[in-house]
Amino acid sequence: MSEILLETQDLALAYGGFRAVDGVNLSVKAGTIHSVIGPNGAGKTSLFHCLTGGRKPSEGSIFFNGADITHRPAHARVGIGMARSFQVTSLFQNLSVRENLRLAAQGCDGDKALAFWRPVGAGKAHIATAERVMERLGLAAKANTAAGDLSHGQQRVLEVGMALCGEPKLLLLDEPTSGMGIDDIPIMTHLIAELGKDHTVMLIEHNMGIVMTISDTITVMSRGQILVEGKPDAVRADERVRAAYLGEAAV
Amino acid sequence: MKRLMTSKGLFGGTTLAVLAILVLLPLVLPSATLATEIVIFAMAALACNLLLGYGGLLSFGQGLFFGAGSYLSALAMIHGGVGLVTALVIAIVAGALIATFVGMLSIRRTGIYFVMLTLAFSQTGYFLAYTLSKWTGGDNGLLDVPRPGLSLFGVDLVDLKGAHAYYVFVALIFMAVYVGARRVIDSPFGSTLVAIRENESRASAVGFDTRHFKMLAFTLSGAVTALAGALYGMLINYVPLDNIAMAMSENIVIMTVIGGTGSLLGSLLGAGTLVLMGEILSSIWPRWPLLLGVLLILIVVFLRGGVWGGVESLIGRMTRKDEA
Repeated sequence: MSEILLETQDLALAYGGFRAVDGVNLSVKAGTIHSVIGPNGAGKTSLFHCLTGGRKPSEGSIFFNGADITHRPAHARVGIGMARSFQVTSLFQNLSVRENLRLAAQGCDGDKALAFWRPVGAGKAHIATAERVMERLGLAAKANTAAGDLSHGQQRVLEVGMALCGEPKLLLLDEPTSGMGIDDIPIMTHLIAELGKDHTVMLIEHNMGIVMTISDTITVMSRGQILVEGKPDAVRADERVRAAYLGEAAV
Repeated sequence: MKRLMTSKGLFGGTTLAVLAILVLLPLVLPSATLATEIVIFAMAALACNLLLGYGGLLSFGQGLFFGAGSYLSALAMIHGGVGLVTALVIAIVAGALIATFVGMLSIRRTGIYFVMLTLAFSQTGYFLAYTLSKWTGGDNGLLDVPRPGLSLFGVDLVDLKGAHAYYVFVALIFMAVYVGARRVIDSPFGSTLVAIRENESRASAVGFDTRHFKMLAFTLSGAVTALAGALYGMLINYVPLDNIAMAMSENIVIMTVIGGTGSLLGSLLGAGTLVLMGEILSSIWPRWPLLLGVLLILIVVFLRGGVWGGVESLIGRMTRKDEA
């Protein structure tokens, strides 16, 4: 269990003179749910962009499963076992729930999907993955509904499901509860806890309450750096964390 | 009727409708040449539809592929003395290569810059053809383009000099292209192309290198468009400079939009509408493109699915009435 799946070394991302991520050394252990929290502007999302390949870090390196992936483009991280969800729901709005998930499963094949002479139906494994994930998400009844017609809560669940279709080693979730109603949040929290049983999950969250119950490890970021890291109880009790969040509340 | 039309089989559904239209066209229209022209442009519109309707890529470079297919096949026949099949293969390969090149550079940008790049390539092609007048005939066009008979391995099979024989030949090629295009759209590639149109950053996040998919869409589109261009040169025994002009790109896009983006059958209807409008109205009123403009505005504003979209919703409404 102590094997490290994702590791950053002195990772930095600068926008001009402003260092959004400033020397972060993060280790995500395999088989855990690891949350990164912090007040607005702490650099969580910038860190996430570096990890998913959306932005090139200015300094430092990222290792996944022992391999240096610092300069790997975003789409090429899927094949090695990394999958992500978006903070702002990003689905194929006009396509059915089933087709959304089937495409996500097909994505692991990368360029093999360029096969223009083969019928879609021949990709039975992808269809099976889509069905399985739909069951797991509790969206089976909505299989033929267009993603854009789902309720916001269901769209957020599908958003996480898209990442699941790649059968990834590591799930990177960017504020999965973002914009969700108070009633829907327990559904998402439960789903993430479920996923944590057979995936390594790295979660970016703004809301501290959500991650306390499900995380194995919590990293608190502030001003681009790691402020505190530890078990939920230790983090909850830490004075510096309170100060960082209180400081935000005072503004 | 509805079940037949919406059937998913490669040879059922709209393929049957296309077959019926192809059989009827030369019987209904005054000349087989007019019918052939419609089918050739339908092929070009269908190729444009693959980019625009499925990939969401508005290319104003289609005229370049069309013109290149016309010129290169004609030049190969005139100077190289090659036969029909070889000339068509040359057009297909050249179209695929040129489109891959144009696609490769254009898709580095998105949105309006992408469109401008395809336009720039198209204009470059036009002026190249204009400048190389020793080969292309420049403003006068390339004259005396032959229409050889169909022969395989030195054996003459069919003479295509007659207008009806040539129509059948073109219609058969169209049928093959149509079935092929349906396969492409229903393939992993086609479904990914739609995904890229819907949400490119999500498509990339689930693992697709979207540039490869857009490029292949260009390659396929260019190959089919150039094939149409080659067939057109043989139809009118002449390659006018217009074949590679801006207006050609424009017309192909307009046919696609009028017929309905995202519907292959629509491309046939769109090409039919435009060619017939030109044929009928140009003899009555030389300013007929004005009406075309009005039609285009009406369709874009009121009938986003194009002619085929309108027909589809009409069928839908009729069958719902039947059930009620």
